[in-house]
Amino acid sequence: MSNSRITGHLEGRVAIITGGCGGIGQAICERFLAEGAQVVAADLAPKPETMAADIAYFQHDVTSEGSAIALAEFAQQQFGKVHVLVNAAGIEIEKTIEETSLDEWNKIFAINVTGTFLTSKHLLPLMRDTQVASIINFGSYDGFIADPGLAAYCATKGAVHALTKAMACDYGPEGIRVNAICPGYVDTPMLQSFFGDSGDIESLKQEVRNVHPMRRYGTPSDMANLVNWLAGDEARYATGQLWVLDGGLSAQVQQMRL
Amino acid sequence: MRLAYKVALVTGGRQGIGRAIAERFMAEGAQVIVCGRGVRPSDLPTQMIWQQVDVADAKQVAGLFAFIQAECGKLHVLVNNAGVQIEKTIAETNDDDWQLLMGVNARGVFNCIRAALPVMATGASIVNIGSISGTTADPGLALYNASKAFVHGLTRSVAVDHGPHIRCNAICPGWIMTGMADSAFAVAKHPDAAKADALARHVAGRFGEPEDIANMALWLASDESSFATGQLFTVDGGLTAASPLNPNLF
Repeated sequence: MSNSRITGHLEGRVAIITGGCGGIGQAICERFLAEGAQVVAADLAPKPETMAADIAYFQHDVTSEGSAIALAEFAQQQFGKVHVLVNAAGIEIEKTIEETSLDEWNKIFAINVTGTFLTSKHLLPLMRDTQVASIINFGSYDGFIADPGLAAYCATKGAVHALTKAMACDYGPEGIRVNAICPGYVDTPMLQSFFGDSGDIESLKQEVRNVHPMRRYGTPSDMANLVNWLAGDEARYATGQLWVLDGGLSAQVQQMRL
Repeated sequence: MRLAYKVALVTGGRQGIGRAIAERFMAEGAQVIVCGRGVRPSDLPTQMIWQQVDVADAKQVAGLFAFIQAECGKLHVLVNNAGVQIEKTIAETNDDDWQLLMGVNARGVFNCIRAALPVMATGASIVNIGSISGTTADPGLALYNASKAFVHGLTRSVAVDHGPHIRCNAICPGWIMTGMADSAFAVAKHPDAAKADALARHVAGRFGEPEDIANMALWLASDESSFATGQLFTVDGGLTAASPLNPNLF
């Protein structure tokens, strides 16, 4: 990341990132820190040793209302208010609906959808009256079109998309913006797991790369670049939108092998 | 300086959104070329190059890009902003209206991209100005709506055909306070009431400013968006996130 990209536009802002210790979450935390924000990585997983000491950590189970309330109390005591919330915590289950148990279905909805609901619900009071508040949810291009064997995941992301528009509609008049970013294929442990038992992984990965107009996978920092823009004042008229960032993948009809 | 050493062309940069984009790019270090159908605006910053070009005319556009190649070498950013709006239904639209509107909004974008491709540097970014009206219809703007749908379709095609060397995205502005928005309100029975009603439908509580669109254009022009291509990015203050049937306004 060249320094010319860093403008310090989040100076004085408080940002909380659920799933902040994951692949994309970490990249967001580090970008926000570089932009001058006070950053809290809220995650069930422990803080990685590689993460900057200046990034605060709060152990947060997004499925628990008690945890969301405790996170809000922590933020209230530490900072008094919150300007940016990124709901990045999420899991993927690689199954069709017949293979998916009710417990698995409930678990992925609890993390991906209920988690976004609960953390937002309890942090909203701290975002109110800041004039610059921005919530960024994690949708997915899979919320628009399906990948095979990801049924419950696709459904949770569709739910996050609708929730994003509803929240934008309800809180816009108070100056709180709500958007979702919709990543395509991003090089993270989640993607490795998706390719998990597919045989010749390297040639499969190359084939997937070639279907992308940009001929590459997304990186966590690509995602952080857009989250960073949506978090700040340059995006002050952007709300209620689903921002697809997929290297052009979904701009095309499914590619035939002609 | 997010566009240092970059060369950017903004079509239709005399006023409004195009002008705001040109000024923003200049502030971020770009060499900016602006074109329009008229003579150089007297208040255009002296550092900007002005070219008098009608984008609907392929010969003039070819001349523009020959000039850019000669003066600047490669082009890094193309913003297809030039556009006209005609407040008519299809029944009211005559052939001259079609020539004018489709000439600028559709053929103009085609002309500029086709001529730009050989001049664009690897990693270059094309930013088209689409519209929320290209996805959902604004009443009484039939050809305009259709022309913006053309822009959206072409955006995807250019991204798919010319990636990974060139990225192409469209911004879909909502109601931005420009002369174009004023003329849309002017045809209402009660322009002031129409404006108040439109305002109440924006969850952001205000209409957009040209700078709001310039902010998005800057992000799409910069390397920050190097994975973004083939997409339509709407900046509309939340207008299209809510249903057009807004029960709060009954």
